[in-house]
Amino acid sequence: MSTTARLDTSRSAGAVKGSEPLLQVKDLQTHFFTAEGVVEAVAGASFEVYPGKTLGIVGESGCGKSVAAKSILQIVDRPGRIIGGEILFTYQDTSGTYQQIDILSLPEDSVQMKAIRGGEISMIFQEPMSSFSPVHTVGNQIVEAMRLHTNLDKEAAERTAIEWLSHVGIPNPAERMSEYPYRLSGGQCQRAMIAMALSTNPRILIADEPSTALDVTTQAQILNLLQRLQAEHGMAMIFITHDLGVIAELADEVVVMYLGRIVEKAPVNELFSNPKHPYTRALLTSIPSIDAQPRERLPSITGSIPHPNARPPGCPFHPRCPDFMAGVCDQKEPKLANIGENHAASCFLYPGC
Amino acid sequence: MVTPETTATANGAAMAEDVVLRVDNLKKYFPLLRGFMKRQVGIVRAVDDVSFSIRQGETVSLVGESGCGKTTTSRCIVRALEPTDGKILYRTDQGRVFDLAKMRQADIRPLRRDFQMVFQDPFSSLNPRMTIYEIVSEPLRVHNIGSRSEREDRVADLLRRVGLRPEYMQRFPHAFSGGQRQRIGIARALSVNPRMIVADEPVSALDVSVQAQVLNLMMDLQDELGLTYLFIAHDLSVVNQISNTVLVMYVGRVAEIGPPQALFKSPKHPYTAALLASLPKPDPLQRHARTIPEGEIANPANPPSGCYFHPRCPYVIEQCKQETPPLEEIVPGRYVSCHRAREIELVV
Repeated sequence: MSTTARLDTSRSAGAVKGSEPLLQVKDLQTHFFTAEGVVEAVAGASFEVYPGKTLGIVGESGCGKSVAAKSILQIVDRPGRIIGGEILFTYQDTSGTYQQIDILSLPEDSVQMKAIRGGEISMIFQEPMSSFSPVHTVGNQIVEAMRLHTNLDKEAAERTAIEWLSHVGIPNPAERMSEYPYRLSGGQCQRAMIAMALSTNPRILIADEPSTALDVTTQAQILNLLQRLQAEHGMAMIFITHDLGVIAELADEVVVMYLGRIVEKAPVNELFSNPKHPYTRALLTSIPSIDAQPRERLPSITGSIPHPNARPPGCPFHPRCPDFMAGVCDQKEPKLANIGENHAASCFLYPGC
Repeated sequence: MVTPETTATANGAAMAEDVVLRVDNLKKYFPLLRGFMKRQVGIVRAVDDVSFSIRQGETVSLVGESGCGKTTTSRCIVRALEPTDGKILYRTDQGRVFDLAKMRQADIRPLRRDFQMVFQDPFSSLNPRMTIYEIVSEPLRVHNIGSRSEREDRVADLLRRVGLRPEYMQRFPHAFSGGQRQRIGIARALSVNPRMIVADEPVSALDVSVQAQVLNLMMDLQDELGLTYLFIAHDLSVVNQISNTVLVMYVGRVAEIGPPQALFKSPKHPYTAALLASLPKPDPLQRHARTIPEGEIANPANPPSGCYFHPRCPYVIEQCKQETPPLEEIVPGRYVSCHRAREIELVV
């Protein structure tokens, strides 16, 4: 391959000052244009990703967390389309000056977009087995990613791939290089996926439910591995999950989504100790716990998540909300507003929303 | 619970009065076939010597990771699979005891009313071409119960009972959310007034906010109708919520049996402790360096010698590599299969 897809960047650690966001998503809107109507999968989401930190995006099915992540890489499946917003990515060019680029201004098949996708920002998925190509060996796929995004020649890329496989805890990495993905267990496959994602030395890793399909002991291993790799390589992470336990284990900052909207945003300790939005509160009290008394009834949220085609008017959570105020919540939609230091929520219980 | 049985019963087995189901040394082996001649190259011990019993009105949970045999055990009990060996003693409400493991399918049919199943995936376990009425009344039709109008009344009553509106009867499954579909599955299971419900991961496909509703519903129904549950799950917190007794399984064998709180507060088997340590805690202030087990779940087609957990166990000694530990009562009500259960202190 003669062309490598790269941005003109220096990938040194700390290329961006810790206090400056690496990625700023502003008012992102991704809609799905289906035969039954327009589904607002992401309806105005804004969040920031800081170097070396983990942003957790949590929500239940249909909340738009995966679509938001895929929008960052412009890999939203049809009939989905990004129809508005900005995704600002900050990087330092080879001369050392900071550059900011709006990812959404790049055509999805442009050289720059390809450089960002998999090079600057990598992604791992829930089903590692179906994210790998079944007809190429694990080694070939990792080498291909590296050849596309780095200057390494074939031999060097192969050596680095073996190093990465060993680094993520795969036994006999040199032999594993020539295996096909189906020969690996779920946990091993996810490790290989992580090796591939990180082999290009990205500055942001997007992890979309990477441990959900795995057994508990394997999940714990993968989470520990991601934390270790983050400490060693300093990449930022966007971690998407439905599991508040996983969020509590590894997020620094948390965004809670419901039906395409961000309902609350706070640092992890603040969110768990002082949740403000009724949805966040309800979610936290409805998690079963091994410390609870057996046979105790859990407080549960009434009703179910509305179908995306039948979004309720006003605040999307109002039909299930214990703090519902008639004439307010069902009339207009609350804005995400700051309600404390680094703490934002979108609920009419708080002034400014 | 696995207690000594006293009452003599019809076929000679002893079984305590309040025990509905007792599983003795259940085994299910699958042949491992290779090549186009389907040569047998080995066996998979999916369930290997599992024993437990369930009392009337109680919940016993089978918990473990993939390949531990929890689903295979339950499928043997409802005889969707033929057990290789062992007994499955079932006591009817008239007090007669049958060994389901030995019975012919035709003889089991009258007993099938007593056992109903609830499945994991509410999207694939309901026929998309049948209305809710047809789905919920199907067990009634199979067992020839009631006239059409009686069945309609029964379905309406069942839907109300599981928290759905009877007007939904003529709709198709696609109109319902995951949680509502699981309620429909529960209504179908209840239609023939079963004594026992075998629920295989009934809440794992549901969102957290809906999971709690379905668990609460299952507990309410159990209290109202005196149902006995065999509950299969991989999530320890869910199991804690609903069970009277928990069986922790690993690669086809029982690791530990006990009441949930005792088991989770002071596990006696290193595998139970490993599961607990791996569980993410929803409290960021409790973040800690966890000692989680290395390696992967053993392959049931090619398991290690001795105790199957020994290659991953931090407390392994020579004996563990040689001998399979027996399931022994360590403390009253606590059964553990570990050579070192009496000497090691496990902290969670």
